[in-house]
Amino acid sequence: MTEIATTPPALSTPAAAGRRSPLYLAWRRFAANRAALGAGIVLVVIILMAVFAPLVSKTGPNDQAFLTTSLAFPSAEHWFGIDDLGRDFFTRIVYGARVSLGIGLSAALFSLLLGMPLGALAGYLGGRFDWVIMRIIELFSVVPPLLAALLLATLTRGGVWAIVLISGLFGWVNVCLLVRAQVKSFREKEFIMAARALGASPWHIVWRHLLPNSVSPVIVGFVLAIPLAMMLEASLSFLGIGVQPPTPSWGQMINVGMNFMYFYWHMAVFPTAALALTILSASLLGDGLRDALDPTLKGR
Amino acid sequence: MLSFIIRRTLSMLATFIVVSIVIFLMMHSIPGGPFDGYDMPLPDNIKARLMADLGLDKPLWEQYLRYMWGVFRLDFGVPYQSPGETVMGLIAHAWVPSLVLGGLGVLIGAPLGILLGMAAALKRNSWIDYVASTIATLGLTIPVFVISTLLILVFAVWLKWTPASGWGEPKRWILPIAAYAAVPMATYARYARSAMLDTLNKPFVTVLRAKGLSERRIVFQHVLRNSAIPMITIFLPMFVGIATGSIFVEKIFRVPGLGAYFVSSIEKRDYPLEMALMLLISALFCISYLVSDVLYALLNPRIRLGGKDT
Repeated sequence: MTEIATTPPALSTPAAAGRRSPLYLAWRRFAANRAALGAGIVLVVIILMAVFAPLVSKTGPNDQAFLTTSLAFPSAEHWFGIDDLGRDFFTRIVYGARVSLGIGLSAALFSLLLGMPLGALAGYLGGRFDWVIMRIIELFSVVPPLLAALLLATLTRGGVWAIVLISGLFGWVNVCLLVRAQVKSFREKEFIMAARALGASPWHIVWRHLLPNSVSPVIVGFVLAIPLAMMLEASLSFLGIGVQPPTPSWGQMINVGMNFMYFYWHMAVFPTAALALTILSASLLGDGLRDALDPTLKGR
Repeated sequence: MLSFIIRRTLSMLATFIVVSIVIFLMMHSIPGGPFDGYDMPLPDNIKARLMADLGLDKPLWEQYLRYMWGVFRLDFGVPYQSPGETVMGLIAHAWVPSLVLGGLGVLIGAPLGILLGMAAALKRNSWIDYVASTIATLGLTIPVFVISTLLILVFAVWLKWTPASGWGEPKRWILPIAAYAAVPMATYARYARSAMLDTLNKPFVTVLRAKGLSERRIVFQHVLRNSAIPMITIFLPMFVGIATGSIFVEKIFRVPGLGAYFVSSIEKRDYPLEMALMLLISALFCISYLVSDVLYALLNPRIRLGGKDT
């Protein structure tokens, strides 16, 4: 189908290619994709800032330390200004990255835990089990995730872990389909037949042979689930039923910032930019990894 | 062909019924009822009376069957938040702004996206290709409320070209339409590009070129028609998907459309309205997938109608 936009010629010399490991080749393909590489670097910077948030900023995210200068515009000592409740806005944004990325990663992990075994079993067993799984996936395709998430979030009263569960619940479908397709295409290969002829149990075949061969779709599914979860979290928080204040969340900050936008632009600009930048780099990284790890899935 | 359509319809109907049961159960398992939210709590006997009047004291399965029987006769009940009208009436008038803005957004965004994708496919690795893929990535990854906020900031607050929000004179429609147009434009830019590239690499295009057909005729008469199938089949599901976006776009641009009711009906435990909206969206999704499937089969005689799952 389509190909990576920036492929420099002479990527690897044919003589050397034979001895390189697949992982190295994947890395070469990834590094050649400049957009993905840049996105990866940006994401690493954001993750480092989130992890070392207390070092990046002196005050805590909920310290109302600057009440006398509430809503001050950005300045040398407050890079992103002060918010309406007298909190340093840069600190809030940095701590918001913790929430956003934390939810993105844990939700992706959860969708992996749910989607990988189901996809592998559906692909390997086929038949009735496969049919049931596919019907369940069809159910998920008919309900818009956001509407169902609205219901579920109201049901659980929001909160970080509820959001993780909800995004996982809607993220597993992709992982499941990717793994299922891979397993299905490997099921009839000679080495699987050989294993079966030697009397290996289905469990052993799936666990030792099929899943290790599905590593790339699993990684791709995982990475692509991260931005989706982050988006869902931000959307729910924006509507006021996601992460509850005072926990800093970008979606929530955009919602508040909207009301101040006409006079205090910094209240809206910075959370919007932070969210856009993070989701964009996470998706670009995911696309890049997909193209690098599994050239057959390219430009899907 | 007919048996294919009937089979797909039945399977979609089954999906729809399961979805309606799940949504109904989820809706009713949210703690609290429609009369619990007031600052001045109602006395228990009055509350019990109201619940009995609305049939909320019946067992859930009976409430579900009653409601679905109503749906069957196109009677969706009376919304608790505005008891003066029916759910149908409320949807009928709230629908207009959503449909006008969302529809215009799609009608403007989709052709732009197709043109962009075509240009990108024909001039590969040129600046227009980069612009197209940048737009496609931005539109598909950045949430619609971020796009809307940025649009207001840039065009209403800083440049002061357009009013920021509201519903009325068409000048106020520009920004919400732009916000709606982002997703279809991005989707179509991506689909059109990959479909065109796919077709351009087919041997028959080489044959046409060898025959000496002009490039313009090749592109518009042959390549475009052959790559139209995926573009047609994604149209309806994408159009319905716009409905979810309306929750955000209408909240941000203060448009009195259907979007706000998605959230408020859940918050106020307005069961009839909530159920009606959810059923409406799922039904539209079911129908749009069905139509897409049938269209796909009609347009592409090569696909097997034997119903083999992919």
